[in-house]
Amino acid sequence: MKPRKVAVVGIGGIFPSCSSIDEFSSKMFADKSLIREWPEAILHGKKMRSTVSGYTSLEECGLEEVPSSLLVNYPEIFKDKYNRIPIGNLSTADLGSIWAMLGTQDAIKMSGWTDKEVRSEHTGVVIGSGAGGNEVSRKSWHNFFELDKKTRYLGSHNVDRVMVYRDAANVSCLIQSKGVCECIGSACATGLGNIGYAYRLIAFGLQDRIIAGGIEGTSMESFIGFDAMQVLSRGFEPEKSSRPFDIDRNGFVCSFGAGIVALEAYEIAKARGANILAVIDNYFNNSDGSGDMFAPSIEGQQRLWNGLLGNNRDRLFPDVVKVHGTSTPLGDAIELFSVVNYLGDNGYHISAPKSQFGHMLGAAGAVEFVLAVLMLKEQKMSPCLNSDRLNEQPETFQREADWPGTKEPVAAFRHLLPRQTVAKEINRIVCLNYGFGSTNSAVVLSRDI
Amino acid sequence: MTREEAKDKIVEILKTVHTINPEMLKNITEKTDFITDLGAPSTELVNIVAKAEEKFSIEFEDDDIDDIGSTMGDTIDLVLKYVNKKQPAL
Repeated sequence: MKPRKVAVVGIGGIFPSCSSIDEFSSKMFADKSLIREWPEAILHGKKMRSTVSGYTSLEECGLEEVPSSLLVNYPEIFKDKYNRIPIGNLSTADLGSIWAMLGTQDAIKMSGWTDKEVRSEHTGVVIGSGAGGNEVSRKSWHNFFELDKKTRYLGSHNVDRVMVYRDAANVSCLIQSKGVCECIGSACATGLGNIGYAYRLIAFGLQDRIIAGGIEGTSMESFIGFDAMQVLSRGFEPEKSSRPFDIDRNGFVCSFGAGIVALEAYEIAKARGANILAVIDNYFNNSDGSGDMFAPSIEGQQRLWNGLLGNNRDRLFPDVVKVHGTSTPLGDAIELFSVVNYLGDNGYHISAPKSQFGHMLGAAGAVEFVLAVLMLKEQKMSPCLNSDRLNEQPETFQREADWPGTKEPVAAFRHLLPRQTVAKEINRIVCLNYGFGSTNSAVVLSRDI
Repeated sequence: MTREEAKDKIVEILKTVHTINPEMLKNITEKTDFITDLGAPSTELVNIVAKAEEKFSIEFEDDDIDDIGSTMGDTIDLVLKYVNKKQPAL
């Protein structure tokens, strides 16, 4: 069957150092960095290699932790200072799930969906996260294993606050949707993977509306794991720490947040007069097949581009390529050469949003998709911040005999990598995200014109 | 400990259960059902029981927790069974 067109009719989320999506938009297109020193990491002194993050404090998102009287340092519940989420829903949610619910409320409000439409069997929820509910788990297991507390002191809300699909489950219970409720996990491609899966469910007629996205709730465990791998940025001022493509980049900035979108079958959205923010033209995902858990592959990424655009390369040629661009030495260079290999070296610009807010792991693809929608709305593209100096020499791997890409160094593509926001006509954007396990995801979205 | 004293302490516990509206705790009787009258999710019962153990410095047997009902009277019965067991013979 011919796939249905899918419209984006609402966006929302939790963005570091921002109290609203409007503030997020204005900061992104004003070339601001949302990265700060993270007090929670600093607390651990020399045990930590990196201490910078794009994060949102409880205070900043209007939440308050209520400690359990039965357990040590265990959050019995998070209270919402602004009464946005009913207490019954808060009781089953960890921090990331609350963010998912807040983002959903904003996205649904923007979509104009009625309660009847939301509570339909044709409305689903597809939201995932990179990690489990680490913060709740750590404190639970510490009380049980180390402090010898009885299981019942955990109460009834340990499982629902740590289970893999807790974000989707909490959102579905909040909005009382009756369709699909699932999560997709694909490491740092999770955010885009969930949106892509939701797109397919609508495109192939299984659902009419879906709340989709990716979440990464604040978690020292996630940060520590990557810090242990020595892959986090260090040695720069916070706002300079994330620097995709720059010759001095030395790792990514581990960040936290949430991105949520409301998707709807295009014809249904059009018929009800919805404000269509963007149209998804296609989604494609694959694996490198290299057998390598971590290393990126230009071969896998070329197949990704071919799968995404195929015979429609010219018709769907993007004005902006929103890259994964993590600020890691190998990944950025291969990704750049892969884009150039497929698109050539003119007619588009590259946007690297992690340069401004770091890498939100399971939320990254969704938050960056939200930003792409904002780019279409504002007709501005966010920059490759801090890409100050580019390598003028070929990368080591470019000198290998079987390297299939360009022999030109990163610096040859300066014109594709703006250091400031660019105002220009933007009708189409390709978003790219990759994850451990050699998984690759890509979406192409357009302005509804 | 009298039933009234136990009830007052259990009401104090209920005030810390966030899914129960404190306004509903004004006219509690022994027949008040935590689930049907106060609107608490059934999953809160274990939370109330655990908080009762802490409040009264007692530890229930699992069999007794399995059999507990959801009214204030049921909870008072369980608490007094253990509190009275604790009191030394004169």
